[in-house]
Amino acid sequence: MALPTKVEPSILHQLAKGVAENGETKWKDLREKSLEELNTTAFPHKKIEEWRFTDLRPITRTDFVNLDEAGTLPATNIEQYFIPESDRSRLVFINGKFHEKYSSIGGLGKGVTVGNLSDHSEDETVKEYLNQLVNYEKDLFVPYNGLMFEDGAYIHLEKGAKAEAPIQVLNIYTDAKEPYVTTPRMLVVAEEESDVTIVEDHIGLSENRYMTIPVSEVKVKKGAHIHHVRIQRDSRDAIHVARPIAYVEKNSEYHAYTITLGGKLTRNEPRVIQEDEEVDFTLDGLVLIDGDQVADTHSVMDHRFSHAESHQLHKVVVNGNAHSIFNGKIFVRRDAQKIDSFQENRNLLLSLDGLVNAKPQLEIFADDVLCSHGATVGQLDPEEVFYLQSRGMTEEKAKEVLTYAFALETIENVKVESVHKLLIDEVYRYTKANNVEKVSA
Amino acid sequence: MLELKNLHVEVEEDGTEILKGVNLTINKGEIHAIMGPNGSGKSTLAKAVSGHPEYEVTEGDILFNGESILEMDPDERAHAGVFLAFQYPVEVPGVTNTTLLRESYNTIAASRGREELDPLQFDDYIREKLDLVEMKPDFLERSVNTGFSGGEKKRNEIFQMAVLEPALALLDETDSGLDIDALKVVANGINKLHGDDDAVVLITHYQRLLNYIVPDFVHVMIGGKIVKSGDKGLALTLEDQGYDWLEAHATVNGEAK
Repeated sequence: MALPTKVEPSILHQLAKGVAENGETKWKDLREKSLEELNTTAFPHKKIEEWRFTDLRPITRTDFVNLDEAGTLPATNIEQYFIPESDRSRLVFINGKFHEKYSSIGGLGKGVTVGNLSDHSEDETVKEYLNQLVNYEKDLFVPYNGLMFEDGAYIHLEKGAKAEAPIQVLNIYTDAKEPYVTTPRMLVVAEEESDVTIVEDHIGLSENRYMTIPVSEVKVKKGAHIHHVRIQRDSRDAIHVARPIAYVEKNSEYHAYTITLGGKLTRNEPRVIQEDEEVDFTLDGLVLIDGDQVADTHSVMDHRFSHAESHQLHKVVVNGNAHSIFNGKIFVRRDAQKIDSFQENRNLLLSLDGLVNAKPQLEIFADDVLCSHGATVGQLDPEEVFYLQSRGMTEEKAKEVLTYAFALETIENVKVESVHKLLIDEVYRYTKANNVEKVSA
Repeated sequence: MLELKNLHVEVEEDGTEILKGVNLTINKGEIHAIMGPNGSGKSTLAKAVSGHPEYEVTEGDILFNGESILEMDPDERAHAGVFLAFQYPVEVPGVTNTTLLRESYNTIAASRGREELDPLQFDDYIREKLDLVEMKPDFLERSVNTGFSGGEKKRNEIFQMAVLEPALALLDETDSGLDIDALKVVANGINKLHGDDDAVVLITHYQRLLNYIVPDFVHVMIGGKIVKSGDKGLALTLEDQGYDWLEAHATVNGEAK
């Protein structure tokens, strides 16, 4: 494979070069296609509307190396991240590489396949859908992932199959001598009337810099239900660029809850695309950031057919110098009538130096739709703080309770008990750690 | 128990003076009613006593059990035994009534030398108090005031008062927004809670509440001062004649006892 670069080469183009020339892979066609795309796609910059608020220097100013040259350290003590519900349905990836000894597959009985994508490269479903569902315009990160991944999570439910337990997809990132780039991949295909809960967790074991570029494709067929929890607990110095996309068919439901806690720079671009009538989908998010963290969510909810109900509650707490960006696109295509779409972006700014950019973006071409949307940026209400103080709480405690209460709403629909509890603990840890800073009234 | 001495209070934000020299003494076991037209400073008085940061005391003093509380934060005043039932109770989604009250009860108990209660003991304790305001137990597990009707919010304030057993309860227009049945329930609860060791201050526009809770003293506030003080008969006069006759010579600064 030659590399006739047609664009200004970025660090990703350079890293791709070595791999492209080295070849051994089960994904030959996909790689070729990805390489072609990569070579014709430029690295984004602030002059592009979609990237104007996002400081990409953490990527461009880091000398990333390929994973095998990074001097990665072994992963230790990762059992603490296993959720008890998934003791028979767990996939563990360390720096993107599948680890069978930590994983537990095949425990969900007939009709449910849970495994490493590269062990299923000849499956008809994989051939049919892998890389066919990604749909990101002029995007460099998807083809980079396509070129670099070898392992990945594969979840398939046959018609009518109900996964008895949630499936945990655990992505562990280890410490290393040099900053590296890793490319987790996931394909989920839920056939008609099937049902599954997926807990996708990204955990950085140390405080090192690395970049993870997870791409996940989800297909929810007729009448199927998917509950998808995504937890981002990367290293505080990590870069996380995610492309999770879901397609929803007739009578299906897809409910996704993304919790962003870690990372120096996070760019999350969840998309849900309606493929037929009578669907119900959710793209909720909770972002808790402080210090110099940047968390950017650019989402798309694409209503292409009539009779859809969609819900997006995106809540953000910003402290320190942290920066949150939200761009929520809602499309309602012509002829997509009777759409009931709710979008709300609520930002709680705890510090004077925090920054919030909020941009709901509704593009509605049908006339019989109900789309409510709102974006608010506020501080803790002094009246609320006083109310709790008058009941005996200290000012700090009152602020902590109110921040906690603000954040809690977005996770109460997470239905895996241990994960719900874990998220409450994470919210508590955040509010506890952030109650020292003075809020100006 | 509470002494306001020549109390001047202004809004911190814009410096508007609202209280212009209030003198008032409230003793244990007494019920005082403070009446007056809108904007006369009644709510400001309650907020200033409970330590709202928006109101700044520019002159005079607030003594509670003989000591100045001007330097105390609102939570410290609550620990000392001051309670404010809000005119507009605040919604706190995500925090249940039980959680808030256990937290409050135990912090206050700790600072007043009372025994703290564990969750089970506390549960028994608050269930008794529910009856006082005729509320159902499921009320305890609802988020504080979230989605409550106006009447429920007011009842919840009195319920909190019942649980926290303050030495001084300032009830800011607790009667407004209540229908007659709810008013009776709330008034009945307050009467049962009131004893020889505590004092109650009712801030109200209307005489209606005073049919059910009989005050020992009635004060009229106009223009940031107490212009007239008297017994319960004064409330009836006000009901009959309005405030006009007082506004005409609002220069007297009344003092109870």
